[in-house]
Amino acid sequence: MRRFGARLHYFVRTALRGLTASPVTSTVAVATIGVCLVLVGAFLLLLRNMEDLLGDFAGDLRVTAYLEAGLPQAARSALALQVQGLVGVESVRLVSEEEAMQRLRAGVGRGAAFLEGLDENPLPASLEISLAEADRSAAGMRGLTQALSAFPGVDDVSSGQDWVEGYLRAIALVRGLGIGLGLILALATLLIVANTIRLAVLARRDELEILALVGAGRSFVSMPYLLEGLVEGACGGALALVLLYGLFRLALPGFEFGLELLLGAAAPRFFTGVEAFWLVAGGASLGLMGSAAALAGGLRE
Amino acid sequence: MSPTRRRSWPWERGRPAPAVSGGDAAVRMFHVSKSYSAGSFALHDVSLEVRRGEFVFLTGPSGAGKTTLLKLLFAAERPSEGQIVVLGRNIARLGHAAIPPLRRRVGVVFQDFKLLPRRTVEENVALALDVEATPRRRARAKVFSILKQLGLQHRRHHHPLSLSGGEQQRVAIARALVNEPDILLADEPTGNLDPDLTLEIMDLVAGAATRGTTVLVATHELDLVSRYGKRVLRLDSGRVVDDVPQAGLRR
Repeated sequence: MRRFGARLHYFVRTALRGLTASPVTSTVAVATIGVCLVLVGAFLLLLRNMEDLLGDFAGDLRVTAYLEAGLPQAARSALALQVQGLVGVESVRLVSEEEAMQRLRAGVGRGAAFLEGLDENPLPASLEISLAEADRSAAGMRGLTQALSAFPGVDDVSSGQDWVEGYLRAIALVRGLGIGLGLILALATLLIVANTIRLAVLARRDELEILALVGAGRSFVSMPYLLEGLVEGACGGALALVLLYGLFRLALPGFEFGLELLLGAAAPRFFTGVEAFWLVAGGASLGLMGSAAALAGGLRE
Repeated sequence: MSPTRRRSWPWERGRPAPAVSGGDAAVRMFHVSKSYSAGSFALHDVSLEVRRGEFVFLTGPSGAGKTTLLKLLFAAERPSEGQIVVLGRNIARLGHAAIPPLRRRVGVVFQDFKLLPRRTVEENVALALDVEATPRRRARAKVFSILKQLGLQHRRHHHPLSLSGGEQQRVAIARALVNEPDILLADEPTGNLDPDLTLEIMDLVAGAATRGTTVLVATHELDLVSRYGKRVLRLDSGRVVDDVPQAGLRR
């Protein structure tokens, strides 16, 4: 245990010495990693919010089946019962013509005066169908819509299916862009760290020669450099987190219109503690891999 | 001690037995050659044995092969031909992973000191103990003890470049000896020093031999060699041309 402590102390001390030996190089590396991760993080944040919105919206997803005019009350009730028995249906509520009109009145507010001029209620009765949790998707809605269309007494069926499908496509686009950009930026981060560590290895060639002379093995020589990469990556991740938070708080309100387009009325949220940890851990992993790549070619016995 | 017939090593079969005695050898070389380019040998068919605790000078003109021979002993180079056994390990067949443990048992001192300029004297010496993961308190005590023996305890927080040449070489010796190696190799350790410091450094190296460390010193300073009266291996053009035993001992 004391030997492990001694070794750890040496690795940490040497890594810190390496980081402070060329502060400009280390700072530039951390800053560049930070900027790369800000871009990746921004995409992740947008994706997260869009997925959240879809999740929230899914709870409100309903399919409305408009009934033919003049359908007797008994037939309506029987139809409601039949629909209730369909797969993927959680609940069915019968909305009469009168209730539909009341909702419209409440919805238009002061404009309701215009509705007074109507001779008769033009709104049809309908069945409002909530989907079971497992079927709250575009596919679930599509299946239910097709099933409902075949029922006698059903005039028309409407659902949020088109919107959901469009939104899913938008999410897929953002995710694809995010993954593509993420891969490119991850590669850039790897190269930056690898280059920084390679420079450090070159600058400390004499030290490596002496270490080899006194019997240091490859892992002993490598460990401080791996730690350096890890710390640079983690600092880059932390910097990205701070920058993202700053942008989220200060710059985001300026993009209200664009945000409404993507997120509707939902308030955007920042990363949770766990997500923030993973961003920093991601930076640290990239740093570790970058220095491992540099050492793979940079160290010889 | 009655002479006993040494068992032959596998690689010696079919070759004439080298003129070495058996027993407690620290170093054995059998028909060792080293060439860096075809037809040109830095060492040529060298066979020798150095017993544990023995002090040996390697002499000869520049290019005689002294440095190459030392490099072979701490596996900085591999032989082109022949076999080398150091502390019971065959260098010619040693895998990469086995080299560091061997080097921890072999201290090396160079003419140009090879100290890390940005580390203090204490840190430079402790490097050999860091590699062995010696617990910190124990390492600090050992470093202080060796620096005190070498009269450098008051310089332990200094950086090498602020020390004189003699002091820097003493630091290098301290680093080579701090983990009590079985073998100490010194390649022209006094080449950069004035005569007074030369004797001071050589006394330190010789002191290691009296404590049981096998010492091989490469030098071209014949005055120094004759002063100590130790065994001398003279090399020329990569061959051992003379093996003079310790003064007073039969060859």
